Amino acid sequence: MNPVVTGVGFITPIGNDRASVERSLREGRHGISPAVFLGNPDLHVKVAGVVKGFEVDSPSWRDWSWPDDYDIPKEVLRGLAPHGLYAICAVDQALASAGLKHSDIAGDPTTGLYCASAGSAMLLHHNLAQMRAVRGVRGNPMGVVSSIAGTLNFNLAAHYRITGTVCGFVSACASSSHALGYAIDDLRLGRIQRAIVVGAEELNADSLLPFAHMRALSKQRDPRKASRPFDVERDGFVGAGGAVAVIVEDPRAASARRAVALASAAGWGQAADGYSVAASHPEGAGLLLAMERALADARIGPDDIDHVSAHATSTPVGDLAEAVALRRLFTSRNLRPPVAATKALTGHGLSVAGVMQAAFCILSIAGGFMPGNAHLGVAGAECEGLELPRDSLRRAPTTVLSNSSGFGGSNVCHVIAAPGKITG
Amino acid sequence: MAPVPPNASNPALARFPAEVLEAYQRYRTQGDAGAVEAVVIAAVVDYRPSGTGSAPAVADGTLLIEDLGYDSVAVAELVFFLEDLFDLTLSNDDIVSVRTIAELRSCVNRKLAGKVRTA
Repeated sequence: MNPVVTGVGFITPIGNDRASVERSLREGRHGISPAVFLGNPDLHVKVAGVVKGFEVDSPSWRDWSWPDDYDIPKEVLRGLAPHGLYAICAVDQALASAGLKHSDIAGDPTTGLYCASAGSAMLLHHNLAQMRAVRGVRGNPMGVVSSIAGTLNFNLAAHYRITGTVCGFVSACASSSHALGYAIDDLRLGRIQRAIVVGAEELNADSLLPFAHMRALSKQRDPRKASRPFDVERDGFVGAGGAVAVIVEDPRAASARRAVALASAAGWGQAADGYSVAASHPEGAGLLLAMERALADARIGPDDIDHVSAHATSTPVGDLAEAVALRRLFTSRNLRPPVAATKALTGHGLSVAGVMQAAFCILSIAGGFMPGNAHLGVAGAECEGLELPRDSLRRAPTTVLSNSSGFGGSNVCHVIAAPGKITG
Repeated sequence: MAPVPPNASNPALARFPAEVLEAYQRYRTQGDAGAVEAVVIAAVVDYRPSGTGSAPAVADGTLLIEDLGYDSVAVAELVFFLEDLFDLTLSNDDIVSVRTIAELRSCVNRKLAGKVRTA
């Protein structure tokens, strides 16, 4: 039997709870806003996917603010990066959504934590600059745990008193799909009964502008034109912050506590491009193999897929590679599952992207709809034969393929199905 | 001690009450060692972990760990704050020897006096 998803939590540019995220996806409402970094309006980066309701620009947690719904003690805050704050809020939501209390998971050796984070470039820079200013004599004692790439697993493991598996993943834009995949494997192997999977990313000059220097970001100032995956005029991605968490459980354990299964994690696969440190393989070779492996893991074929959540970040090279891979998998077999590129609405949240998409697929299955392709005008020629509806569809998918690709050519794909659809 | 501007302030104290800022300025401008106490006590209260019950009145004999709920990380944060604020260095031996508010204040004053002597 396949693991089941019993809870979801969202801190995203398109909403900070399940209902508002679902509404944004159904209505094609984007969360991209004008943004100025380092007080420099002359930068080419004009917009970003900004999380609302949080103020986390300062390197000091004492200056932060967040919604009143979350009670976070200062001994927890002192070790957090801004994206750690997002992550705790998302996990709290996911636990509540799954009908779990903190006390249900605290000290439970069958609960595991699977985190995806790239660390906090802002805090790392701030803390090291502080240390260098005094020639190494002193530094923030929380500098390491708040800023390096393991910051989410360190902090969340302590905060939630996790005593099962605790691990972190750093494969850039594929990392939270990796986190979900390895959580599924540990559940299948019987190592744990319940997994908290969370990806998070902060949005600030230190996290985003280095991508501008790679020429990877859109220069558009109109939010409706900046992130337009698969469009012939796409010119780069729009950065985003946020956190998304999902609770995945052994189906018997979930059933025993009468939890409602929103969807099942039917299979996953990964394959690498072996091609470039940053650019996708021009024909999406690794992504195609990852999709095939995910289908094989779920013991289904391409014709069983009735919806695809594309990685599509709105970069010329990346979207082309994915379009080619999707055509090989589907169009070559005369299959046309609707493909959705939700980064048109959210922007690209890097470490949070994979689990965010997976959670969107869960909402689609549970809510009976498929997101569309907001902002798509004329699709590039490479998309010929792909079904790219502009508006969302009022049709419930039963078996969804969700794609992720990260730097170094890591590709991770998940098959997410309606509960009971694929028994595994 | 190096000369300081008459309105010496520190952004790290921005969240503290006016009397704490004034005490810090008094120390920086006049070298008033007695003013250090107000800053140290304010920092101790500020860095005290939450969730350990209501704060007892802070007195000379108040114990950082047993009375105020400090853990080793909170102690390290407090020490870093005071080191940065007063530009001094507390060794591990100094930190281990401090159990009460009075001992912390004495330790900081001793280090500051050492700075004056070596300045």
